[in-house]
Order: sequence, then structure tokens, then C-alpha cells
Amino acid sequence: MTQAGFFSLFVYLFAVSHYTGQDYIGRTVERFFHFDPLIALTTFFASRAFFASFALAGVTVLLTLILGRVVCGWVCPLGAVHQFFSFIFKKAKFLRPKKEEKASVSWKYAVLVFVLVSAVFTLDVVGTLDPLSFLTRSFAIGVFPGLTHIASGFVGLLYGLRVNAAAQTISQFLDNLMLNATFRQGFLIMLIFAGIVALNAWKERFWCRYICPLGALLGVVSRLNVFKLRIDEEKCIKCGLCTTHCETQAVPYPNDKWRSAECVYCETCAAICPTAAITFPAKAKPEKLATVDLSRRKLILTTALGAIAAPFFRITPAWKRTDLKLIRPPGALPEETFLRKCIKCGECMKACPMNALQPAWSEAGPEGIWTPVLVPKIGYCEYYCSLCTQVCPTGAIKELKIEEKTKTKIGSAWINKNRCIPYALGKPCIVCEEHCPTSPKAIKFVMVETKLFDGTTATQKAPVIDNALCIGCGICENKCPVVDEPAIYVTSVGEQRSERNRLLLPES
Amino acid sequence: MNRRDFMKGAALAGLYLKIGPAFVEGRTAAPDLAQIQGEDPAAITRAAVAALGGMKKFVSRGDKVIIKPNIGWDRVPEMAACTNPGVVRALVEMSLDAGAKDVVVMDNTTNQAKRCYIRSGIQDAAKQGGGKVLFADEHRLKKVPLKGEWLKEWEVFQDFLEADKIINVPIAKVHSLCRLSMSMKNWLGAIGGARNQLHQKLDQSIVDLQAFFKPSLTVLDAYRILIRNGPQGGRPSDTQLTKTVIAGVDAVAVDALGAGLFDIKPQELLYLRLAQERGLGKFELEKLRVEKRTI
Repeated sequence: MTQAGFFSLFVYLFAVSHYTGQDYIGRTVERFFHFDPLIALTTFFASRAFFASFALAGVTVLLTLILGRVVCGWVCPLGAVHQFFSFIFKKAKFLRPKKEEKASVSWKYAVLVFVLVSAVFTLDVVGTLDPLSFLTRSFAIGVFPGLTHIASGFVGLLYGLRVNAAAQTISQFLDNLMLNATFRQGFLIMLIFAGIVALNAWKERFWCRYICPLGALLGVVSRLNVFKLRIDEEKCIKCGLCTTHCETQAVPYPNDKWRSAECVYCETCAAICPTAAITFPAKAKPEKLATVDLSRRKLILTTALGAIAAPFFRITPAWKRTDLKLIRPPGALPEETFLRKCIKCGECMKACPMNALQPAWSEAGPEGIWTPVLVPKIGYCEYYCSLCTQVCPTGAIKELKIEEKTKTKIGSAWINKNRCIPYALGKPCIVCEEHCPTSPKAIKFVMVETKLFDGTTATQKAPVIDNALCIGCGICENKCPVVDEPAIYVTSVGEQRSERNRLLLPES
Repeated sequence: MNRRDFMKGAALAGLYLKIGPAFVEGRTAAPDLAQIQGEDPAAITRAAVAALGGMKKFVSRGDKVIIKPNIGWDRVPEMAACTNPGVVRALVEMSLDAGAKDVVVMDNTTNQAKRCYIRSGIQDAAKQGGGKVLFADEHRLKKVPLKGEWLKEWEVFQDFLEADKIINVPIAKVHSLCRLSMSMKNWLGAIGGARNQLHQKLDQSIVDLQAFFKPSLTVLDAYRILIRNGPQGGRPSDTQLTKTVIAGVDAVAVDALGAGLFDIKPQELLYLRLAQERGLGKFELEKLRVEKRTI
């Protein structure tokens, strides 16, 4: 089915979001996002700026206007995941659809209203529940890392069984894919994803029916769709199988209760009908159809919530003072704008060759949860790489040429003399200086005398940092042999994108 | 024949046996070191190995050869952070011509492996030469006793343990701790584990590693050397085009000759003194046969 096609395309684009041998990826791997009208709208509202690539979202809107929610049924990769698991759960008899499902499908419209209204008030929460963002993030931080560990274990097994040639081939292949397997909150994200998928055992395509704000948006847009479900009254035996097995609770039977805003044109109903009574003929004239509307009460409530939500997200001290650990990727816009544009999709985290970008937790306040943060203890920012700037779908990380990127300061390195081996223990070590990528290096030497506990004095070369040259890449912290808490570490102060977080005034 | 003739013949034969071979050998003896200068990195590498007697002297038919270049840094060849790709390719080709069963090219890099392999040009060059380019695989690490003076045991990649012959191909660079990073420092790419702890006694470590790996041949790439901000540089002004390759079996001697390119006397390098004390080689260049040529 086309779903398999689009899902494969999605996975393919996801998989190639890494260093493939060229400095510039060339393909726009984040293309799927640009077709997403929900993200287009939300980002536009929140940041008050239109990111040109999102014009493509117009294509989706046009398609849905005419054909209905075919995108949900035929294109959306998360929809494909849910449909697949619903199918599995049905076969395994975990999911037993009720003859007449009474649960209200209006919840996703409430989510949609909240997302859109809060965006107007500059709060950008679309990334949490937008299907593309959700799927990419879950893949990048949970699913693929988990699979990578499984694959690595398998390779280890093969080597253990002395099947060396096969083990080597698989291992080298995996290395080439540059899969990032270390993520904070990886377990949590995986749990959430597994939970959402597991909901399909309760109700079929749970997400698509009750949660998805994009589905809700497309449902609202699909009023004039050309193809209408029609039951041939003469053939219909009123068995109700179509309604029971309708993936998205669009109620094909009775015909006049069919909700075109819910129909994703999967045509399960037509396939399952024992008398082939269901067709989708083209009808230009819009009929009077049962539509799902948020009740006025709910609409007012969610709008109000959306309007007042933003200020509550800004109680956090992150709005007053930048956290020292909030080291943003190079090219990140100033924080206020960044938070309005970042959809927390995790593309940058996937693409980062050193697995350095990690989902934030508290560093940027509640608005910043799952936005990208550089964690040098896990990975450093590779000097000649600008991949994160190339894959960001919304421009929250501005695309940088490599020459620009090597001059972009994202933080400052500091030395803790109480832990640094030459200072504290009087022994040689220059690993930080060795690895500093700038030329001239941002780490230089002084001779230091250390009084040791036995009364003797040791004289060693000890590092000192030239802050003007330091770009905050974090390789020093990453390679420092004091592994539990590196003696040289990077903090956000001095990052060039922020006036508030500035360290030194310019000399002249 | 009568007794006089016999005695004359025996005396002449004895004389010949005593002087002759030395006379013949002196004419055709291979030098201990070859230092070749020239425009093309591959050509000077071939000339250097040829001057030592040809690759057949070091690689036998059916050998599994592993070539250990410096691929440690995500830099282009013009930055002189990694071994020159032309030098690596020439060695791969020569090894295969000498009858090697397969030639593996590998290094445990410092920066991200794939980026280093590609940007340094070594992955392409080695593959074109017919070599097998492999990333260092953590699954293949094995803790082995090193029998070093300081390092008792360390994690080493089994690819080096399983090879019949190891060829060490470092690049000559400055380094803040051991002053120069040449052949012995290159062994840090053949091991795993917490390599960043070795800097606490770096000179002793690299001597211990040199004693353990025992390469059949050491080829020092000094085509473009790094004279500032080592060991990875970053600006073309950090490099110097010396267009030289130094080859030899005695790595201590190779490094001693290499030090001369930086105007440093071999005695000034602690690790060379330690290596000579351990009996790993000689750095007194006056006592060695060195062939220097420009092609």
C-alpha cells in the first residue's frame, strides 16, 4: 500500500539524516515536516515569521480540501504505525472493537484549539503531539537507539560464536549508519511511544481518533471533499460490520451518520462489507453531513486555556537567567525566538555525528522540554560539522556554512583547578589542549607548582583557557580523563547568540 | 695435483672466503634507513621501501598485513593531522604486490571515525589501492598483557594481534607532551580503553607499546609536517611542506632522523632515550647506514 511506501520514505529520510560523507547533506531530509500545515500554522503564529519552506503545507491543505483526510489514511507515517499495530492487536484478539463505539472523537479538536490558540500567545507546544514530530522524536531518542543496542549485542554474539566475517560485515555496516544510541530520557520517550502504540489495543487507531491535532486540523479542512461514502441501500444487510471496523470511528452505517471529517479513506468498510454495498463516488455537491464539532462549551474552555497557558510556562527562572548547562547547538536563534520555533522533533539529535545533542529536561524551563542541548559529557560538537543546522525543519537552528560554524561560540570552557590532574595531583596531562580544535588553540600552558601531600613540590605544564578563542565545542570536557566530573567543562555563558548571557564586553 | 698446488689453492680459497663475502656484501648491503624527498608522496614512498630492499623483504606471500596510519583527526590532508593518503595507498599496493593475502587499514580515531576516514582521504586512497578499510570495532578489543615497564596490560584491537605483519605509517607532528608525535606515538590508535590516561606517563607508555607491537616496517610520512598547534593543527600556516618519507625497520632510528626535520636532536626526546635503553633501537645516526636521495 502507499502507506508502506510513505512510511519507507519517512524511515529512509530519517535514516540518512547523518554524515554520509559529504559536509552538506544535499537532500532536504526534513521535507516531511514542510508539508505539515499544523506545524506551519503554529510556528507562524508563535514566531510571527513565515518560514518559506512551509509553503508546501499548502499542498496538503489543498489535497485535503478536495479529497478529504487521505493524508491521514495514505501518507502519515505515524498513522501507518498505528494502523499496523491495530491490525496486529486485532489479529491477536487484544483489540475487540465494540459494535458501536461511543467515545467522543472531539478530544483531538480540543487539543487542536489549545495548540493553535497558545501559539497565537507565543507558546509553541505543537511538537509534543504533532504526529511527525512525535514519530521522529520517538525514533531518534527511543526506537533507533534501542535497536542499535540490540544490533550491537547481536554482533557481539556473532563474534562470541566466532562467526567473524559476518560479525565484521554487520558491524562495519552499522558504523557507517552513524546511529546515535545514547540519550538521556531515552527510556522515558520509548515508554511514551510504547504507551501510545499500546493504546491501539484499547481502541483502534487511538491516536488518530482522539489525540492527533493534525488529524483534527485536516478534519476541519475536509468539508468539501469530493468523494463521499455511499451505502447502496439495496445491498446493505445492516450487519454493522463497517461501523465496527471503521478505523477512525467515522460511522459509515447508517449512511447519514457518516462523518466525513473523520474518514481517512482507508476503505476498510468497503473491503469488509459482505455485500460490497459501500462505494466512494465523486459528488461535487456538498451534502448535509454529520460533522464533529466541538461543543461550544468545550471550544470556549480550550480557547481560554490556550490563551492563558503561556504565562504559566514562564514562571520558570529559565526566563530570567540562562542555565549554565543550556548549551544550544551552533546556529540556534536567540532563546525566546528559538523556543517559539523549535518543534522538539529530534532531527538535530539524530543527525549529530557525536550524539552530543540531547533532549533538555529542566535547563530551559517547561517550554524547553525536549529541545536540543549540547551535553559534552556525552558528545562534543565536531569542529567541521554543521549537520544540525541543515536538518532543522523550522529554522530554529539557522543553517550555517561550515566556515561560519567554526567561528560560532556556543559557550565557554572553564578549568576546575581542584580536579585538574596537573594542578591538583602534580602529574602530567594535556589531553584537553591536545584535542582543542581551534588554531591557535584556545588552551595554552603555564608551568604550575603543586605542593603534594608528602611535602614535595611537583612542577608540571598546566592548561589555561584563552576565552576569546574558545568556541565551547566541549571536546575538552568530553576527553578529560577525570571521567566522573571533568576538570575542564563548558558552560553556556559567553554564547554569541545571547546578549543576556554575554560574558565579556569586546575589547575595542 | 701435488701438495704445493693443493696448499696454494687452499690458501687462496681461505683468503677469498675471508675477504670475498664482505667485499661482495659491502657493495650490495641495504641501508638501515632511507630518506627520500620528491614531489609525489606515492613515488617517494615506493623509492624509500625499494631502497631498503623492497617490500618483499618485509611482507611474505600469504601474509595478513595490517597497515596502521594516523587517521585520528577530522582534517583534510593539507592540515597535516593525518597520514598522507598517497603514502598509505602506495604501501597498500606494495604489500599486495609482494604477495600479501589481504591488507587491512585501520586506526582507532580521536574524532568521529567515519568523518576522519573520509576527510583525511585515506579511506578512498586505501580502497583504491586494493586495501580493506575497517573502522576500529569495540567488539574486537581484548585485554592483553603488554609486559611493559609501566603498562602491564591494556585493551588492544585483535586485528593487530591476528595480523602476520604490521606496518606503522605515522605522520610527523609536534606534540605538547612528548615534543614530537612520530612512530611510537602512533600506537595510541591501535589500542582502546581509557587512552587519555596514558598522558600521565606518555613517554613510557609509547615505548611500552612500541615494544609490544613490533612492526615489520616503519614508514614516517614527512611529506607535510605539522610544526605548530599539534597534534591536529587547523591552519595551513601550522604545516610545512618537506616532501619527505623516512623508512626503516628500527623505529627509534626513523624517529631520530625525523626529529631532524624539526631541528630537534634525538637525545632531546625522552621517549627515544627510553627506547634505546630498552634495546628497541638506536638513535645515534652516525652509526647507521642512511640513504638520502631526492627524486
